[in-house]
Amino acid sequence: MRRYLLYVAKRLAQFFLVVFIGISLTFFITHLTPIDPVEQMVSSMTAFGNTSPEAVKMMREALQELYGVQGNLLEQYFTYLSRILVLDFGPSLSAFPTPVSVLIERALPWTIGLLFTCTMLSWLIGNMLGGLAGYFRNSRILKVLGAVAMGFHPIPYYIIAFVLLILFGYLWPILPITGGSGQNIPQGFTFEYITSVLSHSILPALSIILVGIGGWFLGMRALVSNIVTEDYVLYAELGGVKRSRILPFYVIRNALVPQITGLAMSLGAIFNGAIIVEQVFSYPGLGRLLIGAVYSADYSLVLGVTAISIIAVSASVFLIDILYPLFDPRVQLT
Amino acid sequence: MKPETGGNDQLRGVKRNSDPVLRVTGLRAYFNMRYFGIAREVRAVDDISFIVRRNEIYGLAGESSCGKTTLIKTIAGAIRPPLEVISGSVEFDFGKRRVSIYEAAPEEIEDIRWEHLSYIVQGSMNVLNPLRRVRNAFLDFAFRHIGKSMPEFQRIVEDHLKRLHLEPSVLEAYPHELSGGMRQRVTIALATVCRPEFIIADEPTTALDVVVQKSVLAMIREVQQEIGSSMIFVTHDMAVHANMADRLGIMYAGRLVEEGRTADVFASPMHPYTAHLISSLPRIGDLSIKQALEGAPPNLSDPPSGCRFHPRCPLAMDICRRENPTLTTLAPEHRVACFAASPKVKPSGETTGSRLEHAEAMQ
Amino acid sequence: MLKIARDLFRYNREFALGSVLIACVIGIAALSVFSPYNPLDTYVVPPDVPPSWAYPLGTTSRGQDTFWILTFAMRNTLLFGFTVAILSRLISLLVGMVSGYLGGLADRVLMSINDTFIVVPLFPLLVLFYFVMRDYMSWALLALVMASLGWAYDARLIRSIMMSLKEREFTRTSVFSGMTTRQIVLREHLPYVLPIVFSTTLNNINWSIGLEVTLSVLGFTNLDTPTIGTMIFWANQHSAMVSGVWWWFTFPTLSITVTFIGLFMLAVSMNEYIDPRSRLSRMGGTTS
Repeated sequence: MRRYLLYVAKRLAQFFLVVFIGISLTFFITHLTPIDPVEQMVSSMTAFGNTSPEAVKMMREALQELYGVQGNLLEQYFTYLSRILVLDFGPSLSAFPTPVSVLIERALPWTIGLLFTCTMLSWLIGNMLGGLAGYFRNSRILKVLGAVAMGFHPIPYYIIAFVLLILFGYLWPILPITGGSGQNIPQGFTFEYITSVLSHSILPALSIILVGIGGWFLGMRALVSNIVTEDYVLYAELGGVKRSRILPFYVIRNALVPQITGLAMSLGAIFNGAIIVEQVFSYPGLGRLLIGAVYSADYSLVLGVTAISIIAVSASVFLIDILYPLFDPRVQLT
Repeated sequence: MKPETGGNDQLRGVKRNSDPVLRVTGLRAYFNMRYFGIAREVRAVDDISFIVRRNEIYGLAGESSCGKTTLIKTIAGAIRPPLEVISGSVEFDFGKRRVSIYEAAPEEIEDIRWEHLSYIVQGSMNVLNPLRRVRNAFLDFAFRHIGKSMPEFQRIVEDHLKRLHLEPSVLEAYPHELSGGMRQRVTIALATVCRPEFIIADEPTTALDVVVQKSVLAMIREVQQEIGSSMIFVTHDMAVHANMADRLGIMYAGRLVEEGRTADVFASPMHPYTAHLISSLPRIGDLSIKQALEGAPPNLSDPPSGCRFHPRCPLAMDICRRENPTLTTLAPEHRVACFAASPKVKPSGETTGSRLEHAEAMQ
Repeated sequence: MLKIARDLFRYNREFALGSVLIACVIGIAALSVFSPYNPLDTYVVPPDVPPSWAYPLGTTSRGQDTFWILTFAMRNTLLFGFTVAILSRLISLLVGMVSGYLGGLADRVLMSINDTFIVVPLFPLLVLFYFVMRDYMSWALLALVMASLGWAYDARLIRSIMMSLKEREFTRTSVFSGMTTRQIVLREHLPYVLPIVFSTTLNNINWSIGLEVTLSVLGFTNLDTPTIGTMIFWANQHSAMVSGVWWWFTFPTLSITVTFIGLFMLAVSMNEYIDPRSRLSRMGGTTS
């Protein structure tokens, strides 16, 4: 047990390292800019009217404090880090004075709900089908499925989302293509609301799942084809162990283990896909928030969403990492 | 103190019966491969016939790539394309059941596995599922054959382990937590828990260090005597054969070249290849320099004509280049396939022309 | 080399299909040199004309011939993807080979950094990058940034190959014979690593093109340069979907989809060819 706790501690250290590097990267990117965000803000705010110089000066100072651009680079860096630690991203500039954290709070459940469901579904279904395809190599249906998976997998999320949008939005408008739920339906645990949420999530979910399933399918199929030639599988067959036992316990279970690692590694990419898909379907998650923030030059919001994305994905990877030894007893816990 | 040679009837628990448990007749198994338009046929097992009796250990000797492993895989019915059985039969008689491997239905064969026919593999192979504890392996392989309730099954397994000097706690371990020798012992326990009538052992002590080898061999001998099962024991190590086998079969290039009681084969080998194998064993006090056989084992996709050993044989005659010798009984229980051993050995009349031309034609 | 390609083409369906698709795509891109119009000009032909004899793929709402713009778009997109892939290969190779061969502390440090780049979602970072650079964003800069972000996954692959090579006999022989580390890595190990690098390059091209298209569609790149992404962006800007100018976004979408599938098939078939186990099973054998 103690070894496991040591393992968790190591993974936790990795988690902090990742977040630290990621956040620092964002800091450096924002400070690379030849544009001064404060000046930009000031100029856009004073563009439409006459403002007294004192007011401009006050605005500038306030903004500078808000952005944390006072002091030299190192001071700014530490101010930045300390703010992130308490998840204080300042107020959103496009939705002034709503704090960024509130906006993120509203959007996060949508993204997490979408992501979690889609990832789980595509991982499970993709792996199951891929496992069967790897084991029953001569099955016609599975071969066809494989070709379809190969067709969808390399296409980027945007294109699939776009195509689905055209198909179901214009050619065959049976599914809603914008929003997270119907416009006039109040939130709450009502049947109406829940079905509305579900129907609005079908297209975004489909975009993510279609692309994702292919990857898991192909990976699992390759893994299983290799595993069926492993010594312990052949021995089990020699030993007359029934196929109904070999397939789940010797083949699939053993092939799933590297796929768990694969899941952790691809969470970043799936997250990317999710925010793009959200943008296409105007789904009220982090993606739409981010893109909208860019369009409205909302500096703190962009920063906030980026930081949260990094933290969220790293935390998920951390979770998967610490659950991994439960699946693979061979893992070195030291 | 048990004798080192495996030859004494009276010391066995079960009376030896001369009914064969295994009868192999005219078995041929070839690899047929096609790659980018080129076809190749490797004659790994070429016309082999022999029997194994009840309660007997039959040793199979020969250098690497002579076809030993392919032969026993074929006997176990564990072959898959491109390896196929071209002709011949493999018949088991387990007393209560008879099964001919290449004529029976797959369900029947699956049924006899482990209960009547089990398999011990090379020490280096990882035959235990790395993600499952050892006790689950016993469950998977043996539970359905033993047919008792779970607690009783548990007890049977533990008793079996204790009898083989293994700690029952080993059941809770994962395979990677056990040493190589330990894993091999567990596998042997696993292969014998259902008390099968026939056990195939494929180089079980290769890749184990000598000290562990000794204890593993002792374990195999002990369990074989207790259960009274018949065994085919494959190894290239002649010293192990001297220790374990009742009868010995020597293979070369996919064919049986000599077969007889171990003591007889060691005392008076009739085939030059056998003589060479035996002379290569070090003996205390023997200071002579060992000679290696010139040449190399033949390429089984393009074997030499006639007797396959003739390119390396010190006694090769003209007839050896043209004709393939038949395995002939020249002494009680002693068969040889060599023209030089005796004029009684006749050619088998078999064409040894390569089937390659035929294969190339079918593109 | 050529013989391998020829054999693959004949016997591996995916490779054949992939090669054909990519050949078509490159052909389209190559046609851009014959374009009668300057790609940066707008309103040179009557806008919104559906596909017809005069304009085989129609014209856009910005008064450009869809076909000729498409050729430029393909060319720019492909060039971009290729550049990013090559640049990131350099980093992947460096990190992977150093980390795999040296092992120990260097390996652990490099891999920790590597895993960071795998885990961190790159898209928000790229968006942030655009946000702060705005008009200073150029294609070269974007390529540089993407290359410096997209090397992590493949570095790990290369590292595992290096680790297995390190244990092999010929490495020890080389060390004993007095070759320097640099010599061993470059002369002995590189030939083993290159095939994998080749197939990861193909995948990386897919990845970078995908990202470029996505960023451009959202308007986050230099919108005057014709690329597949910017084409779709302008189509959206002019509400092509609603106004029925379907040819403006359908053809770029189609051609880029063909590109993705083609590259992917090439990569998959190369991978299968390299993997010795699958090679054996293709010969009709098993690995037992």
